[in-house]
Amino acid sequence: MTTQLSVYADPQAETAGAVSAVVASLPLSFAPAAPAVDAAPAASGPDVIAVSGHAGWTERAAAAVRKGAKGIVVSSPVAEDPAALVGVAEAAGSVVVLDQPWAGNLALAGSSENAHSVIARALEDAVLLDSVAIAAPGTDPRDLLTEQFSVLVQCGIEVRNVRMVQRNANGYTVAGVLAGGVPVALQGILTSALPATASVSILTSTGRADVVLPDPAAAWPAVVRAVTKEGATALPTLYESSHRTSWSRIHAHLSSGIPATDLAQFSTVLSLVTQLTS
Amino acid sequence: MSSQAQASPALLGVGILGAGPVTQAIHLPSLARLGDILEVRHIMDIDPVVAESVAGRVGARFSTSMDELLADPAVDIVAICSPHQFHAAQVIAACRAGKKAVLCEKPFAMNGEEAAAISAVSAETGVPIIVGAMHTFDPGWLAAEDAWGDLPEQVHTVRSSIVLPPNPRFEDFATEIVGRVTPPSSDSTDPEVIKGMLTGGVMGLAIHDLPLVRRFTPDFADVEVLHAEIVRPFGYVISLRAGNVAIELRAAMNATWEPAWEFEAIGDDAALKIDFTPSYVQAGSATARIRTAGRTTVLGPFGHNGYEGEWRKLAELASGTGQPPSAETLIHDLEFALAIAEAAAGRVDTGRVDAGSAASGTTADQEVNA
Repeated sequence: MTTQLSVYADPQAETAGAVSAVVASLPLSFAPAAPAVDAAPAASGPDVIAVSGHAGWTERAAAAVRKGAKGIVVSSPVAEDPAALVGVAEAAGSVVVLDQPWAGNLALAGSSENAHSVIARALEDAVLLDSVAIAAPGTDPRDLLTEQFSVLVQCGIEVRNVRMVQRNANGYTVAGVLAGGVPVALQGILTSALPATASVSILTSTGRADVVLPDPAAAWPAVVRAVTKEGATALPTLYESSHRTSWSRIHAHLSSGIPATDLAQFSTVLSLVTQLTS
Repeated sequence: MSSQAQASPALLGVGILGAGPVTQAIHLPSLARLGDILEVRHIMDIDPVVAESVAGRVGARFSTSMDELLADPAVDIVAICSPHQFHAAQVIAACRAGKKAVLCEKPFAMNGEEAAAISAVSAETGVPIIVGAMHTFDPGWLAAEDAWGDLPEQVHTVRSSIVLPPNPRFEDFATEIVGRVTPPSSDSTDPEVIKGMLTGGVMGLAIHDLPLVRRFTPDFADVEVLHAEIVRPFGYVISLRAGNVAIELRAAMNATWEPAWEFEAIGDDAALKIDFTPSYVQAGSATARIRTAGRTTVLGPFGHNGYEGEWRKLAELASGTGQPPSAETLIHDLEFALAIAEAAAGRVDTGRVDAGSAASGTTADQEVNA
């Protein structure tokens, strides 16, 4: 039987993660926490607290852990060192899940073995990795870069020797290499004309693999496609936003007791971002 | 050396200098679709066997001499499909021969001096010249140009991404090639080979899209190459900046069966994406998509590609109608391409090109540490 967990999101977290809609779509797993009465705290705190990922999220998440939350969902975390939060969460036995718009897509979840297999096979024979991330004007390029690196890390792609080729108010270009010295080209572009998507294209000696990750504002499915000598294969579509996937994940972690690795993975992302922006 | 019947006066006569795979697999099939306005009347190639074979398939005369072709009164339009180094001299000779129009495969010159000489001869003789940048004649591109409004003023990012199988795959869908030459293998860890790959990549592949790139880069003369590396077995990753416009050029010619030739120009609130069809096969035009938030306008596909578009334009010009591209445009397109090719290859000399392969023993460190 599914254990129903109570959820609290402050207005900023609600906006960042569309929490109400997501919780409503997982009615057996979650329910809104009972509101406090007469300014007095509820008898017991919420099981899971949603935190907006804007600057200071690691401290806000740590504060939520100290309040007794078993689980924390951080929506769109910006580049910020999670080391202190890791210590606080481990001491309390709490789980922190990062709700990232692209890296959190179900197509890239650990359970999506087919997608990871497509990517891994392409990496074995790669000649070029080309990735483009698109966000709305006004987005901090450092935040966009964080999301883009998060995708690569979630794909299991290890990028080395990263270098900022160019950066301006409209985006950036980053060069790097894969472990075998294969060229990597990353580009971030700010525009309102195109939906906020991230793509990863791995060209191989005989074909390619493409992953296109949608904006989580709706349950648009990711596209995962492989081209080999035998033909083209598109993986089945998964109509779930990354927000919902993240909430399903935290429920699974809390139910199973298996710890999440989100913060450790985010440390890897932070290391890459820091190399380029420090 | 002739096997051709009496030329029809209602048709414009075409002579082609160079009868290699591009002539055989691109131009002749395109011309075969335009038999109501154009007729191939003379084929020249330095290899007499190739010249005779290719001419024979279209019932044209053949020769091994440029002068003989240019002296042929049945030839109204000259197409120059010879190796790059002969282009400038042959364009000038065709203009001086009093032909009605000239098509020169890209690039139409190998330096600014040659380009200026061509411009002067074109102005002096009044012979219109078209350079074979086929995408600028693609109906999908032309429809986008008519529809994009103020897009060029707001574009801040341009991407050209080309993924193609080796040419023979499509050549063999288009025709039956004679005289195919297999390129020699080379050591892609050799700096001179890397320079050649970058120069060849820009002047042979990227050059198809560089006139399109330039349409969105008013400060093209200030182009700066920021990063260049090769992709194996053939291709490139080149990052540029021209004024405020970031330009990213990607290409890979691998053994894929699936071509993907994409051009994008992106501004704050409007963006253009064009998917071009592969060369050689008659697969119709590009499809263009102009996007703003919540709205996508799709243009095309149309029934013919840019190569056929070139020939339609040449027929117009030779008939005294239509407006040729300005000499200034052609020269600026060439200068833009040459500047990028030279700067990209020049990074090899400064040790700033990434060799991009474990086999080479060189990595991006070379560039990072420069």
